[in-house]
Amino acid sequence: MLATVAALTMAGGFLAACSTEAPTTAGDSQDTTTASDDGSMAPGDIKIFMAPKFTGLAYFEVARAGGEQAGQDLGIDFQYIGSDKPEATEQIATLTNAIPQAPDALVVSAIDGDAVAPALKEAMAAGIKVVTYDADAAVDARDLFINQLSYELAASTMLDAALINSPEGGLVAFISASPTAPNHTAHVRIMKELIDTDPKYSSLSYVDTVQFAGDDATKSQQLALGLIQAHPDLKVIISSSAVSAPAAEQAIINAGKGGQIFATGVALPSSVRDFIKSGDSKAFMMWDPAELGYVATVAAYQLVTGEITAEKGTMIDCGAAGTYEVLDDGEVQYNKPLMFTADNIDDFDF
Amino acid sequence: MRRALRTYAPELLLVVLIVLAAMWSSTLSPYFLNSVNLLSAAQFFVIFALMAFGLFPVVVQGEIDISLASTLAVGSVLVATFSVNGVPLALALPLVLIATALLGVLNGVLVTYGHLPSLAVTLGALGAYRGVAYLLAGDAGITGITPDYLLLGSSWVGIVPSSVILALVVAGVFWLLMGRTSFGRYSYAIGASPEAARMAAVPVNQVRVGAYALAGAMSGLAGWVWVNQYQSARGDNADGTILFVLTAVVLGGVSIKGGSGKAVGVLLATVLLGTIQTGMKLANVPGTSQTLVVGALLIGSIGAPRAVQLVRHALSPARRRLRITGAAQHDPDVA
Amino acid sequence: MTAPTTRATADAPGLVARLGLSDGAAALRVRFMGVIVFQVLLMVAFTSVTPRFLTWDNLQSVLFTAAILAIAAAGQTLVVLTGNLDLSVGSIMGVTAYVVFDLAGNTPALGPWVVLLAVLIGLVLGAINGVLVTVLGIPSIVATLGTLSLYRGFVSFYAHATEVTIGELPTWIRSLAPTRWLGLSSYVWIALALVIVVGVALRTLPWGRRLYAYGSNPRAAYYYGLSTHRIVIGAYVGAGVIAALVGLLLGAQVGNINSLLASGIEMQVLAAVVIGGVSIWGGSGSIYGAALGAVVLATINNGLVLLGVQESFRLLFQGGAIVAAVAVDALVQRRVLSATRRRSVGVTS
Repeated sequence: MLATVAALTMAGGFLAACSTEAPTTAGDSQDTTTASDDGSMAPGDIKIFMAPKFTGLAYFEVARAGGEQAGQDLGIDFQYIGSDKPEATEQIATLTNAIPQAPDALVVSAIDGDAVAPALKEAMAAGIKVVTYDADAAVDARDLFINQLSYELAASTMLDAALINSPEGGLVAFISASPTAPNHTAHVRIMKELIDTDPKYSSLSYVDTVQFAGDDATKSQQLALGLIQAHPDLKVIISSSAVSAPAAEQAIINAGKGGQIFATGVALPSSVRDFIKSGDSKAFMMWDPAELGYVATVAAYQLVTGEITAEKGTMIDCGAAGTYEVLDDGEVQYNKPLMFTADNIDDFDF
Repeated sequence: MRRALRTYAPELLLVVLIVLAAMWSSTLSPYFLNSVNLLSAAQFFVIFALMAFGLFPVVVQGEIDISLASTLAVGSVLVATFSVNGVPLALALPLVLIATALLGVLNGVLVTYGHLPSLAVTLGALGAYRGVAYLLAGDAGITGITPDYLLLGSSWVGIVPSSVILALVVAGVFWLLMGRTSFGRYSYAIGASPEAARMAAVPVNQVRVGAYALAGAMSGLAGWVWVNQYQSARGDNADGTILFVLTAVVLGGVSIKGGSGKAVGVLLATVLLGTIQTGMKLANVPGTSQTLVVGALLIGSIGAPRAVQLVRHALSPARRRLRITGAAQHDPDVA
Repeated sequence: MTAPTTRATADAPGLVARLGLSDGAAALRVRFMGVIVFQVLLMVAFTSVTPRFLTWDNLQSVLFTAAILAIAAAGQTLVVLTGNLDLSVGSIMGVTAYVVFDLAGNTPALGPWVVLLAVLIGLVLGAINGVLVTVLGIPSIVATLGTLSLYRGFVSFYAHATEVTIGELPTWIRSLAPTRWLGLSSYVWIALALVIVVGVALRTLPWGRRLYAYGSNPRAAYYYGLSTHRIVIGAYVGAGVIAALVGLLLGAQVGNINSLLASGIEMQVLAAVVIGGVSIWGGSGSIYGAALGAVVLATINNGLVLLGVQESFRLLFQGGAIVAAVAVDALVQRRVLSATRRRSVGVTS
């Protein structure tokens, strides 16, 4: 009885003390200057964090190299943060713990574009500039999105790669990372549209159900094998995931169908050099992740110093890496696709 | 005094470790010793704490439940669906808790009345409930949660976020439940010896199913907290996190064989893990090192006391263990 | 986890042993039959809905998919028979695959010695597990949970976020997966060979019998004078070596190896073991059953993909299958052992 009364009084007390105002960081052990104060900071003071989906993937390491190069060129403090586990909760924990360190900008590739949104919005509220690259977050949770390829360009390039492999066309199946990866879902949607409407791709047809491999190599292989069995006239497997595309191709070779069925899509040249040389799969595509990382970091830097704003029409000058325009919804399109074939595969070292 | 020290030895060890971890973290990063930051980081661990408390009675009874993360996903998706369909929170939350408790009951019934091993049953449930979560969530997951559902994640009592208060309240509830009620007493008895408990007229089956139901409900609650923190819900929410939850329970001094462990231990273990993880993340320690530290911590905290015991025993000159050799034995088949 | 509470099952393994090998073997055989029946039922069900299931091309694809998991399940069975678990198998696979192929890529002269290197790695990692569980007395769930993180952290650290690309793998092992002998992939034959070797060793070697004895009743085994530490460590070393070999095969199958290879596979391996009729409490179950459990899982996956069933239903079905398999197994066990109990009452009264 007494316990219940005590509990109720405590509950009442708590409810009374409840507020929806976030407490401010009082009694800091660190002086936090935010970027919005003044634009006249020396470059050495500027801190930019790059947070990939997770740190174990070679693709992100290449982008990291680009970011570090930008860090050197601009003379800023560039740090690479993240967990080595491909879990959304881990990335959110990383981002949440980045905020108190008061970086001037975050450059992020989001595992789950919706789940990271609250953390990113918190960062923006704290005056941190947020630039996404490679995989976008919710539009209102970031200032800019450096899209390696516009979704239309990515889709058409992957279909072109498919046609290089199988010029007579044929049945196509899709493997994506997850249903909530905005880039992968957009790619598939547009690829299906192009196959339906564009005469260039009229020789292709597609399997409507999309498979999801979560960027896991073993799962991609199981899915590829399953697809081969389920669709006897399958010709091409396309994947936007740099892990799934090569894994699927290896699965095809393991099944003894190399050269009859092809896997293509996005992949690092080092992962597929062997396939291209042996002719098992004649084309893969990507972009230069290092330059992407470079551009994203430079864009973040320029936002911090006030050189640019996130408004549509703003031009971002990245020196030798090119000049880019801000489009709708803060999207910047890098748009330099690379098609890897037998002719040029040896030109790349990543 | 000495007895208190001995009964609470594992928990005291945890407190010492927490203090050490905090000191280490503050040297790693100047941002650590900031109360607002710490509490904000604590929010992140509320979900795991809730699941750990749910798992706690189950492990005390000598069983296990590895399907809790999948139950959380079902819970979070249900909460999100209710929100998007305009159902008031006061109605939605109890419904979700009942639904997730029922999932737990299913596990409990299979283990208790079906006499099936809990690891196997909850292994199956892990996949099955995950599938249910995906089915309910649809492909794209659910966003657009209404603000009234998000109150837990956007309100503070003083500088303490409400979700952290929730975790503390739940900790208190479980401390009472396991320490002061017959359910708690029965749980420890079942964990120590199910046969003896049965003979002592303990309603073993009901208590067992009850623990599973409670675990399910806690996961459902954690699902609501999830929606608050991430303002979205997807079928793959919390996938793979059960191992972390199990780590917290075991680290908290709860014996995996059953029969012992305290709620305060589970709370302290979660705080310890949270302190270390937060400290490392604030210092941008590379992900690989974080993984190594957690693994070493788990093995070290359980293994070190025993290693010390072994060494002490081996070094003690007065007592030699009697080595039981094969020749001096009764053949159990003959006896 | 507590042992079963019904009196029959608590006494059962000792009882079965007391009544002589024939009944124990009968119990094992019955459990094994259960898995076979389950598999046949699945195949019939799938074929009736989609005839393409029963084509040779499809069936050999199922076997290929099952091969790696079957070997891993055989290894895990050694540990489960002692009443323990090994959750670190995935990490052992990942470490072996990356380290061995990385070294092999840099020193092509190694040739087939890479297999020896893999065995060594599996031996060491498995031994560590064994020591933690026996000497330090850490419960196996906890110990192998810890080593799961430790080993994975190690390979993550070693790899520095780089990949071992296909081109760096030794050609002889890379060409293994696509090679076909008598129409089946070499992996299937290798899996068959390894499973048979382990199964026969367990059945004929005295060490194998000691493993079953210890698993059925650890205390009795100890009093009987069996070196319990050596038995359990031996089981973990066996599981480690097998996991390392699986790592090699998996790495060669996947091609591009990063530090995350085989993450999370431990759940699938456990599922295969459980479906295969191996008792989680230790002391009974067969290697062949566990390997067949892997085939069951692969069959389910394959059938559902053929039917175009979406991922969520697949998960549901797999989870249900695990529970169903365990339930069937428990039923069978109780049926067989109540029969033997009745017989024993007749003998002694």
